Amino acid sequence: MAQTINTRVTRTDARRKVTGSATYAADVIPAGMLHGALSCSAIAVGTVKSIDTGAAEAEPGVIAVYTHKTLPHYKTVKGFYAGGPGSASFWPMEGTEIRYAGQPVAYVVAETAAAARRGADLIGITYEEGASSIHMDPSDSFVVGAGEDSDGMVTTKGDLQSGLDAAAQTVDETYETPFQHHNPMEMFAATAEWRGDRLTVWMPSQSVRTLRLGIATAYGLPETSVRVISPFVGGAFGSKAGVTPYTMLTIAAAKAVGAPVRLIVTRPQMFTVATFRPESVQRFRLGADEAGKLTAFEHIEIAQTSQFDAVVNPGTHMTRAMYACPNIHTEQRLARSDTNTGGFMRAPNEMQTFFGLEQAMDELAVKLKMDPVELRRVNDTQRHPVADVPFSSRSLMESYDAVSQSFGWADRSPEAGAMTDGDWLIGYGCATATYPTSISPSSARVRMQGTGHAYVELASHDVGTGTYTIMAQIAAARLGLPVAAVDVVMGEADLPLAPISGGSTTAASVGSAVHLACLNVATDVAKKVSAQSGGPLSGIDPSRITLDDGMLRGPDGQSQSLVEALAATPMGEAEAEGQYRHPALTDDALRATYAGGYGVAGPVTPEMAMFAFGAEMAEVRIHRWTHEIRVPRLHGAFAAGTWLNRKTAHSQLMGGMVWGIGSALHEVTETDKPRARFLNANIAEYLIPVNADIREVRVEMLQEQDDYVNPLGVKGIGELAIVGTAAAIANAVYNATGTRLRRLPMRIPDLV
Amino acid sequence: MKSFTYSRPGQIGPATEAASQDGAAIIAGGTTMVDLMKIGVLQPDALVDITGLGDLQGYGVGSDRIRLGALAKMAVVADDPAVIDAFPALSEALWKAASPQLRNVATLGGNMLQRTRCPYFRDTAYAQCNKRDPGSGCAALDGGETSMHAIFGGSDACVAMYPGDFAQVLVAFDAEVKTQGPGGTRTIRFADLHLEPGDSPEIETVLEPGEIVTGIEIPMSPPMANSHYLKARERESYAFASASAAVGIEMDGDTLRDVRIGLGGVAATPHRARDAEDYLRGQPLTEDTAREAGRIAFQGAEPLEGSAYKIPLGADVVTGALLQVKSRMGGE
Repeated sequence: MAQTINTRVTRTDARRKVTGSATYAADVIPAGMLHGALSCSAIAVGTVKSIDTGAAEAEPGVIAVYTHKTLPHYKTVKGFYAGGPGSASFWPMEGTEIRYAGQPVAYVVAETAAAARRGADLIGITYEEGASSIHMDPSDSFVVGAGEDSDGMVTTKGDLQSGLDAAAQTVDETYETPFQHHNPMEMFAATAEWRGDRLTVWMPSQSVRTLRLGIATAYGLPETSVRVISPFVGGAFGSKAGVTPYTMLTIAAAKAVGAPVRLIVTRPQMFTVATFRPESVQRFRLGADEAGKLTAFEHIEIAQTSQFDAVVNPGTHMTRAMYACPNIHTEQRLARSDTNTGGFMRAPNEMQTFFGLEQAMDELAVKLKMDPVELRRVNDTQRHPVADVPFSSRSLMESYDAVSQSFGWADRSPEAGAMTDGDWLIGYGCATATYPTSISPSSARVRMQGTGHAYVELASHDVGTGTYTIMAQIAAARLGLPVAAVDVVMGEADLPLAPISGGSTTAASVGSAVHLACLNVATDVAKKVSAQSGGPLSGIDPSRITLDDGMLRGPDGQSQSLVEALAATPMGEAEAEGQYRHPALTDDALRATYAGGYGVAGPVTPEMAMFAFGAEMAEVRIHRWTHEIRVPRLHGAFAAGTWLNRKTAHSQLMGGMVWGIGSALHEVTETDKPRARFLNANIAEYLIPVNADIREVRVEMLQEQDDYVNPLGVKGIGELAIVGTAAAIANAVYNATGTRLRRLPMRIPDLV
Repeated sequence: MKSFTYSRPGQIGPATEAASQDGAAIIAGGTTMVDLMKIGVLQPDALVDITGLGDLQGYGVGSDRIRLGALAKMAVVADDPAVIDAFPALSEALWKAASPQLRNVATLGGNMLQRTRCPYFRDTAYAQCNKRDPGSGCAALDGGETSMHAIFGGSDACVAMYPGDFAQVLVAFDAEVKTQGPGGTRTIRFADLHLEPGDSPEIETVLEPGEIVTGIEIPMSPPMANSHYLKARERESYAFASASAAVGIEMDGDTLRDVRIGLGGVAATPHRARDAEDYLRGQPLTEDTAREAGRIAFQGAEPLEGSAYKIPLGADVVTGALLQVKSRMGGE
């Protein structure tokens, strides 16, 4: 049997995707379907005084125009950060209140998408406008919850001030990160079809169970009456996780109009009707002795949130895990402004905080006249500095050593501005990457046939990461089948439980469930063949038969392939579920997952701290006359337990590094302050890297074994490689110019 | 998008007639027109597609001038060896604009007439935009984001920036625009084509209703052969200029006999830095004189809070462009 794990396997759905035969949610056209369009508020705060729908209703093709007065209401649900399934706790069109710019105010249903949008453009809305601010005021911040506790929003260990007093060098700097939007290629879309009191919703989703729960709750339906279908997702990055207002409005409109309705949200509207990465301010105070050992570590993060939710993505939980230090103080704070509720965007806790931390470490290295890699080495630790438990595995310095060699770090001049090439200033910078390994409970069902085929079913999602492929690989490896003989079915809420595809949890969590389901299939087959006569395993105590990747083995060298054994049974097929739960998972976390929420074990359990690590090195070039910042080389080395698929894993890591370049140099949602609106709500002016910006990106994948994290030894990698990239680039900019850029994105005006 | 009628005349006479009707608009490659119609900024009743006028696609480098048909595609002209050889800045300005997909369909006439990227002009949720809705005000001047607004040529009514690259080459090298309208044909100095916003930012050019640009002509001049387009932008492709310079030089021994400087990313209309040119003529081209030219080019700029960076950046881009073109000539 060829090895199927830790090899390069091409995506099983690649052909369908490139030929267009993969059916995305908005490709489905139920009979009699009509088209929806949103009309959204021009103001950010206030009330709707009047809505004139006359012109829209008179527009040819328009069937109906709904407002808060005419659209059927539903029971609203809480937002994700309040423990509910919603993308936010405030639901538009329930009344006249406007709480953010671009809030849906009216919903048009028409025979064509063009007529619906035309109708939406013709709606006349007047407002009573109130004062608004799109930006938070960091001086007016607060801590969510009880505050001080060892694993909470405020952490204190040792005595920070004495650590600062004892330091030979200190750094006290503040770093800022902007609003960013996910901008997946696939537009937000929802199609709703009612048949009596049964409802089907097609929608790209990172959590079909969350979606089903939210919809069922809103309409008072049993979850068995609601089908949610999301076979393919054209990019999500955190934007397609919760139940959004546009979904609920589409369902309500379909109910009111008595026909299926599909809404495709426009690109500008995508900036306001769902979540985004909140802006943040990161203050670091570091102290170190002359040898570079940290004596004091303080990180205070202030992140933006809406007026009606408390979006806590606790970045301080990650930074405090990085380096050994006896005196630690962290605070996780929020400040409010007038936007929709933000959320999680690829590396939601880590992109922003590591832009700060890893630049502060570089600033400390400069003050200490130390190589920045050596500063990390001096402060590396195999125990979590706050929780005081060992890391289940931590290959940070192995990563630095590998990337140093690949990149040629030894050629770096520590003196700023010393390296040039014609009109270009050259700089090298490095930074640490990390991502927590959190493990959700998960289930999967595997049905294997003696003909040599298997089906794997679970309510998980392939958000473009390769989940279909790696689930097939895991089953193929355990069952002894070729990958092509395994069909994976996902993206429906009726399938066995899988968690939100977020937090880089999917491969490790649902992969473990598939692994267990395969073992359970083997147990079933072993029982049957041991009870049958005439086979190599006949009469052997089934509890002593083990599965060794496709082979059933008895205690005394007897063996038979699983597929042969199965073929010999009367049914010729076997089916089993696997229910995976990390031993450290609490009952509360289990409950939260079954309730459609985010419940995980880790990253810090009572015994271990689970994180993946890596290191990145960037070469930047800054043009003497245009002041353009370019990144001709970005190298990363990463260790994250078992690599399931070296091809898709490489793509995840490389894609993460590319995202990091975007965060560093390009991505920012610009704002109009007087009117509290997002301004560049299109992908011409919301810059992301183009091909020409991405030159040499090299990924080193290190071997690491971790038997604690899960049976497969897998750590999630969907977000790991973004973390630290912006800091590596900022540190390289300093090395090239002697100028510190402490605000993202780093752009031409910052260096003129 | 509002409903509209569509026609594609095969002859220019009927085209000018159709385009002169109230509510009519001309479309060629469509990369600006369709974009602005989709977002509701332009709502023509009738589109007159001039791509059926096949004789407007030609172009050529002659002994006394470069002739560019209004319907010649950006990508085709940018990639033409004769153009690259005779006038590198023209090819470079076209290559550094937009994306390959846009350059493959966008025409030179349309590119020249492209509209501003001012976010307040482009978002109809803003009631205030004098260019879109005369007399309604200016959201940019009313405390708005101004990092990509004009530092030259703006008015109290409008500070929108002309975003193009190609036009900066045309203005610096004395191009002329050939048109045909209901009243016949005429030739317009390119420098006179665009109008500064003044009190009427909704009027952007001197073109009359129904007047169709048929071609662009650039008289051959010695600086064209030693020309260069330097563009500072936030990503390596598909980004508008933070600042750019189209330059050309002609040396007379150690001093400059002639020099041309067009500035992109900084002005309300295509912008030529005549004072800087005047300063340089008769001077040697050194880093010092190039820097002084850059400084002079931005004298009199009126930046807003967000666009102040364009003064030092623009000066550096002018300096860099001049030094780069000199170094290409084998100077230094």
